[in-house]
Amino acid sequence: MYMNKVWRLAAPWMALLVGLWSSQADAGIFWIFDPKGVMADTNLKYMIIDVLVMGAIVGITALLVVWFMWRYHKGKNRGSYHPEWSHSNAIEVVVWGIPIVAVGFLAYFAVKGTFELNPYNPTVITKNMTPQSQRVDVDVIATDWQWLFVYPQYHMAVANELVLPVDTPAFFRLTSTSVTSGFFIPQLVGMIDVMPGMRTKNALYTTHVGEYQGICSDYAGAGTSWMTFKTKIVPQAEFTQWVQQVKASPKIMTEASFDRYAEPYINVHHRVAYFSQVPDGLFDHVMMEVMDGKTWPIPPMMTENMVAYMAKQSAEHRD
Amino acid sequence: MLVDLPGGWNPLLGRLAWSQIPYDNPILAPLFVAVVLGGIAIVALITYYGKWGYLWKEWLTTVDHKKLGVMYIIIGLVMLFRGFVDGMMIRTQQAWAVGPDSSGVFGALHGYLTPFHYGQVYTAHGLIMILLAATPLLVGFMNIIVPIQIGARDMAYPYLNALGLWITAAGAALIMASLFIGNFAHNGWFGYAPIFEIQYSPGVGVDYWMWTLQLLALGTTLGGINLLVTIIKMRAPGMTWFRLPIFVWASLSANIIALTSFPALQVALGLVAADRYLGAHFFTAGLGGNLMLYTNLFWIWGHPEVYFVILPAFGMMSEIFPVFSEKPLFGYITMVLASFAIAGVSWLVWLHHFFTMGAGPDVNSFFSVATMLVGIPTGVKVFNWAFTMYRGRLTFTAAMLWALGALFLLLIGGLTGMMLAIPAINYMVHNSVFVIAHFHSMLLVIVYAVFGSVIFWFPKVFGFKLDEFWAKTMFWLFTGGTVLVFVPMYMLGFMGMTRRLDYVFNTNWHPYLLVMEGGIVVYTLSVFAFFVLLYVSIRDRVKNRVGADAWGTSRSLEWLTHSPVPFYNFAVTPHVNARDEAAWRRANGIAAVQPAKYVDIHMPNNTPVALYIGALTFVLGFALTWRIWWLCLASLVAIIVLMIVRSYRGDPGYIVTAAELERMEREAIARERQVDGSAGEPVVGGAPAVGRPAMAYERSDLPKTSTPPSMGPGAHH
Ligand code: HEM
Ligand SMILES: [Cu+2]
Repeated sequence: MYMNKVWRLAAPWMALLVGLWSSQADAGIFWIFDPKGVMADTNLKYMIIDVLVMGAIVGITALLVVWFMWRYHKGKNRGSYHPEWSHSNAIEVVVWGIPIVAVGFLAYFAVKGTFELNPYNPTVITKNMTPQSQRVDVDVIATDWQWLFVYPQYHMAVANELVLPVDTPAFFRLTSTSVTSGFFIPQLVGMIDVMPGMRTKNALYTTHVGEYQGICSDYAGAGTSWMTFKTKIVPQAEFTQWVQQVKASPKIMTEASFDRYAEPYINVHHRVAYFSQVPDGLFDHVMMEVMDGKTWPIPPMMTENMVAYMAKQSAEHRD
Repeated sequence: MLVDLPGGWNPLLGRLAWSQIPYDNPILAPLFVAVVLGGIAIVALITYYGKWGYLWKEWLTTVDHKKLGVMYIIIGLVMLFRGFVDGMMIRTQQAWAVGPDSSGVFGALHGYLTPFHYGQVYTAHGLIMILLAATPLLVGFMNIIVPIQIGARDMAYPYLNALGLWITAAGAALIMASLFIGNFAHNGWFGYAPIFEIQYSPGVGVDYWMWTLQLLALGTTLGGINLLVTIIKMRAPGMTWFRLPIFVWASLSANIIALTSFPALQVALGLVAADRYLGAHFFTAGLGGNLMLYTNLFWIWGHPEVYFVILPAFGMMSEIFPVFSEKPLFGYITMVLASFAIAGVSWLVWLHHFFTMGAGPDVNSFFSVATMLVGIPTGVKVFNWAFTMYRGRLTFTAAMLWALGALFLLLIGGLTGMMLAIPAINYMVHNSVFVIAHFHSMLLVIVYAVFGSVIFWFPKVFGFKLDEFWAKTMFWLFTGGTVLVFVPMYMLGFMGMTRRLDYVFNTNWHPYLLVMEGGIVVYTLSVFAFFVLLYVSIRDRVKNRVGADAWGTSRSLEWLTHSPVPFYNFAVTPHVNARDEAAWRRANGIAAVQPAKYVDIHMPNNTPVALYIGALTFVLGFALTWRIWWLCLASLVAIIVLMIVRSYRGDPGYIVTAAELERMEREAIARERQVDGSAGEPVVGGAPAVGRPAMAYERSDLPKTSTPPSMGPGAHH
């Protein structure tokens, strides 16, 4: 039979998929299912609620359809045939009622979750804080195609690596010099747009020491794929030590050197740089400059030929 | 020049120069040679068989809604194929360029596409699939089916209809031209602001993207106006609103969306043009520009657009299920309400495409709840299809399989859409491949519905059925591809993989990317199955001939006229008695009754003007892209002159006489009787036959022929 052939062909592929899933499901590679911070935890909580509700409806509907397909298959004489039947008030009430109730129920959680994870004031973090609570502030400046993390409390900055103390809420202000990029650490905090001439915020809090992947989640041009950064969550003592280490770096960032730093650069070799000094207010300075029309245009050749651009980049000793 | 452009410019050729031809590109150059050879071969074949006259008279200058619809569908299928090749390139790059150790060729660090080239491929893929595959396919079906379903002779404005087609074709030609002359945009199909600004995209790519979109928006708007007027004004007597076939309702709601939303896109792109051509600062980061304004404007069109394409697909499914369940659609009124509810809410949800923009929680909450409201009518539709099957008698023909596939995909797409609608979830998966998987589930609903419709309505348009075996084989292969590509894609979304990566930094994702590549291979097999399907069906066409009612259980009005549908659709405008007219007449034993007498009918003339204007819009788009100002002006003036000339001449149309009509009808009936004996002898005094002029005015001095004369702009009466 036709269908038998279809199944015979499809079965090995399905087995392969299931095999892949089960061989790796517990390896922690499903970042969204393996949150390590309060923000990401909350995201997952809402995902579970939503999938339970919607999954029940969708699942039951799918089963219903399959059952009808089986029962009313012509010639099998399993169900009775009513050639004119096309209306039933009771069913109409149910088919409108179920989605309305489900959406009403989910709407409550949608609003609640939006406030809990409001990037400007995520109550899942701030509700446990007092004005005296310890916190770390980080000013995030995205360029084409690097991240600069400025620690205003320590007057220092780090390129392409984010280090934060554990058990301490971290608050970000974010802006970009050129185009829109996205700040995303899948296991810690969801995405937020990082836009030129504008300031967004986000925050994270975690009790898990570890190293997490940060990603540029919005397409920002040729170097996006390499615009990743490691996020290290370290014990408080280790953090203090690390700050000392950065403060000892010979490199400093000035407004002039930032101008050069912000030129298009593809971070293929995952360069990390420590700047022991940063002028206060660099973040606002950059934002104001961009609003006044400053841009860091992309050399035309870069968009045409990447390999040649990489050669130029090394020739300029920017690696 | 008001803006600084890198590279040269000269008054004669604008930015065009030999260096813009990518003859040294290892992918494009061979492709170009193949295209040229293919083109020469086609031209040679047409010449050899002496078909130029036929092509000109029957297709290029036609205003017949069915032929225009067929051409829309051909454009849609060709572009679907082009988009598929783009998709294949994307998948191959991602399966290859994984991890720092992966190799690179053709100047790419990893894989075979440089980021800039890769960006062009996915930008073209998205734009093509939504605006040049899904849209023309659906517009094509609406064009063919809607007038027949409401008992009209043609669209309200046949010439406008042709114009819409040729402008769409011009858009397709423009995006194809970008392959070989210059390059295309890399800013994503929806355009990332401010990447499309001149500082970040100094080449012509963005200009190609922008003018292609403008042309397609224009063509679709013209088509939308036409369909709306047709549905409102051209219904046969007795075709009251609540007897309209459900596909017509779907088309009506879809085109209301199109007409109200496409202008937003055109304005947004007009402002982009101001930035790029006049040095304005609407969407720049500095100098008072606001880049999120673009994103808002785009999605104010973009979200309604996705419903513009899904609603007709829902309409198609609503036609297919009843026919193969052998009973009427469950909850007709509910279906209508649901379509309009979807259309209405679709204007209020655009912000869900950028919840992560950093709007406050009030704004995000509003758009979140509004988005979830769309889920209600969508859910209702699914339930109604299920209950259409309930108590039915189901035959699993290929068309039914495609419709069922669409239904299951809609369930998955709806589930994931409802996840994305909640900001607390969206923040984690927005801009990840999870979103890609969501909207491909949804867009595949359209593809499934379209293939179902191709099989379902093919016999109506061409008079013979497609081969069931190959149609089913194609279905299963296609479905295999869908599972293999999109199940891993959902998984990758949960692994945090973001979209648009041309280099994949996480090697854990590699196995999944390889499975997806396997899925692409299976998809490719289904493309072959489609070609075999066409070949086998055309080879066996005599065997597969059908009568008026191709499926034997058909329900709506289009199944009452002959297959293939004659150019005048119905010999006598039918009088409609019921919601499912064909089923009603069959039940009352008058399906085969022929009209008592024939009357003269009035048909529109052919015209090449639409083709000329379409070609000129291509020239205009090309000239704008390359900033060849004199050519812009010349083509614009030519377009305006042609429009004025044509407007003054009008189209008096021509008359098909009653006698001629009767002769053609007898022939058609005789042909059909050979097939299934369904059409009876002409019965005098049978069903009520009401003649009605198809056009707004009647004149007695018109040429009387049975083939449409052509009216060039210079011809005289
Ligand atoms: C139940 C109904 C639906 C809901 C609740 C829904 C929800 C959403 C949401 C919230 C997004 C934004 C995701 C993001 O970028 O973060 C989205 C994206 C998208 N949806 Fe849907 N959707 C629904 C139906 C559809 C339909 C019917 C289509 C069209 C065929 C569609 C096509 C798309 C497309 C094309 C995108 C993304 C475009 C892009 O970013 O490139 N959706 N959907
Ligand atoms: Cu949307």
